[in-house]
Amino acid sequence: MDFEWTADQRRFRRRVRDLLEQLLPPDWDVRSGYDTSSRYVSEFSRTFCPILAREGLLIPHWPKEYGGEDLDPYYHWILGEELFAVGDPRSYQYMNVNWAGPAILRYGTEEQKAEHIGRIAAGTHIWCQGFSEPSAGSDLAALSTKAQRTDRGWVIDGVKIWTSGASLADFCLMLARTGPDRHAGISVFLVPMGTAGITARPIPNFMGEFSLHETTFDQVEVPASALLGAENDGWTIVRHIMHNERIGQPRYALAMRGMDRAVALLKQKGRFSGQAVRADAAKAHAALLAARSLALQVIDARAKGQAPTAFTSIARYALVSADRCVADFLGAYLREELMDRQDPLITATYRRTGSTGLAAGAAEIQLNLIGRDYLQLPKG
Amino acid sequence: MDLALSPDQASLLDAVGKLVAPFRSPPAGLRETLLTSTALDRALRDAGFRDVARFDGMGPLDAVLVAELVHALPYSVEYAGSALLSRVLGRDIDGPLALLEAPAATPTRFLQAGGTALIVDGEDARLLAIGRDAVEPVETSFAYPLGRLRPEVRGTGTRLAGAGALVRQWWAVALAAELSATARAAVDLTVDYVKDRRQFGRPLGSYQAVQHRLSECMVAVQAMQALVRRAAALGTPQAALAALVQAKEACARIIYDTHQFQGAIGLTYEYPLHFYTYRLRLLHGELGSPADCAEQLASARWGDAEVDWNE
Repeated sequence: MDFEWTADQRRFRRRVRDLLEQLLPPDWDVRSGYDTSSRYVSEFSRTFCPILAREGLLIPHWPKEYGGEDLDPYYHWILGEELFAVGDPRSYQYMNVNWAGPAILRYGTEEQKAEHIGRIAAGTHIWCQGFSEPSAGSDLAALSTKAQRTDRGWVIDGVKIWTSGASLADFCLMLARTGPDRHAGISVFLVPMGTAGITARPIPNFMGEFSLHETTFDQVEVPASALLGAENDGWTIVRHIMHNERIGQPRYALAMRGMDRAVALLKQKGRFSGQAVRADAAKAHAALLAARSLALQVIDARAKGQAPTAFTSIARYALVSADRCVADFLGAYLREELMDRQDPLITATYRRTGSTGLAAGAAEIQLNLIGRDYLQLPKG
Repeated sequence: MDLALSPDQASLLDAVGKLVAPFRSPPAGLRETLLTSTALDRALRDAGFRDVARFDGMGPLDAVLVAELVHALPYSVEYAGSALLSRVLGRDIDGPLALLEAPAATPTRFLQAGGTALIVDGEDARLLAIGRDAVEPVETSFAYPLGRLRPEVRGTGTRLAGAGALVRQWWAVALAAELSATARAAVDLTVDYVKDRRQFGRPLGSYQAVQHRLSECMVAVQAMQALVRRAAALGTPQAALAALVQAKEACARIIYDTHQFQGAIGLTYEYPLHFYTYRLRLLHGELGSPADCAEQLASARWGDAEVDWNE
C-alpha cells in the first residue's frame, strides 16, 4: 500500500499542467466560465482535443492498437483531475474517452471500431448519451423509446430527456427498447446526430449553457450496423457504462480549487476569522479529500483489472456528500460574490456542485445499490 | 499510488486476525460497559504487534491497519496510541499509554499505575512513568478505564524538547484510527442485526429507510478509514487533522443510527453495542471539540502559503 504518487505520475501531472498553461487563453476563466457545456468550450474542444491526441494525452489509458498509450487508469485519472480542475476543456468529449469509447472498444464489432474509434481518438467529434426519458429517470429500465427492425436496419422512435450536450454532439450512444422484457429487452445504438428525424431542444437550466436537452427521435432510420453489442443485451453495456460514469469525472478537483479560491477571497476581505466559517471550510475540505481517496480506491481496482463492485457507489456517494458541503459553504459564506458573479471559479463551483447528486444516477439509487450489493441487506 | 494490501500486510493482518479471534465476542453476564483484558494486552505485546510501526520495512500505516482490527473488538485496548508514538519517539513505552495535555488535570483513558503518560506541554512534551501513588482512578460510565494524575506529578516527567507538535499529530492519527475502527464495528454489528430482526413480517434491513441510513453510515466509515490510512502513510500534520475532522464529523450520526436500528436491546449490557458507542462518545471530544479540530485543519490548509488543490 502506497499513498504517494510515483515520480512518473508526478511528471505526467506536470506535463498536463504545462500543456494547459500553454493552450488555454489567459482569460480562459471568464470566457469559458468553467462551463463544459458552453458553445465556447465545445468549439474550443475541437481544436484542443486534437492537440491532446497528438501529445498522447487524450486516451492515454487505451490500448496502443487503438491509438492509446497503454498507461494504467491512474494516468487517465490524473489527466481527468487536471482537466476538471479547469472546467474540462474537452467539453463533452470526456464522455467519448471515459465511457462511450471504452464501451465501443469492448462491445463493438470491427466495423464499428473502424468507424468510431479513430474519430474519438483524433479528438474531433463529440458524443452525447441518450439514456433518460420523461418516464425513465432513476428507473432507467422503464424506458420506452422503441427501435424496430426493418429490411435495412432499425427505425427509432421516442423522446430522451436531460441529454447533456445533445445540440453540440455529432453522435449519440443511446438506449432503445427492442423487446418486451424489462431489462433483457433493451439495446444500445450508435446514432449520428445529423440523421433525419432527430431534434435536440436545449432546456434552460442553472448548470450550464447546453447541459440539458429534450431529444426527439421521430422515425429515425439507422443501419443495422448501428446496434452495439447483441440485440436485447443493452443492459450489460449500461452497467459497464454506469460504473465508468459514476467514478468518471473527478468533480472534487474543481470543488477543491473553488474552496481554495473561496477561502482566499474571504481572507482578503477579512471574513475568515470566526470559528464557524473556518470549521465549515475545513469540514468541506476533509469531505473532498475523503471523496478523492475513495475514488482513487476505485481507480486502483481498475488499474488491477478487478471487476467493478458496489464500492463504486460508495465512492460516488462520498463525492455527492462532499459537493453538497461545498455548495452549502459557498451559499452561506460567499453570498455577495455569488450574487454579482464576481468570480467565475466560485460561480462555476456553486453551479457544478448542484447536480452531483443527480448525474450518473440519483444519490438515492447509489444508496439502494450500497444497501443491496455491498451491505447485502434483504430485499423489501 | 497502490491502495491494495501488500503481501506482507496481508499476512500481518492474517496473523493479527487469528490472535484477536477469541476476543471478538464479549463474555456473557457482564453488567457494565467497561471490558478490558490483560490476556489480550499481553498477547498483542508478546507477539510484537505493538512494535509493528518500528519493524524493518513497516511503519505507521501498518500499525493503523492492525489498529483497524484491534479497536473493532468489544474490549477496550490501548493500542493505536502506543504503536504510533513509540515509533515517533523512537523508544519503548511501558504499559498502556495515556495521552494528555498540560495541565494534565483531566480524567484520561488508560492512565493507570504501571503505564506511561505522555503530556503535550506547549511546544514540548513530557514522558512520565506512572507510579502507584501518581494516579487516582476515576469512576466512569464510559467504556474506558479512566485515571487522573495527582496534582503533585502533573508537572513532572522527562522533557522531550520540541516534540509537542509531533506528538499532537500522531495522537490525532491514533485517535482517528480508533474512532474509525470502533465506528466500523458498530455499523457491522448493526448491519448483521437488521438482517435477522423481523418486524411487521419482514427483516428490518429490508426497509428502505433503514437501508439508506446504514448505507450512508458505511460511506462514512469508508471515508474515515481512507483518510486515516492516508494520514498514517503521508505523515503530514494536515493529513492527520483531515482524518480526525472526518472521523469526528461522522461519529455522531453513527452513534445515533446504530442505536436507533437496534432498538432497546442495544441499550442493554447484555448486547455488545454499548462497548462501541460508549467508546465513540468519549473519543468524540478528545483533542478538542470537532469544531476546534476543524479550525486547526483550516489553519494548516490555508495558512500563509499559496495552496495547490492537489497538495
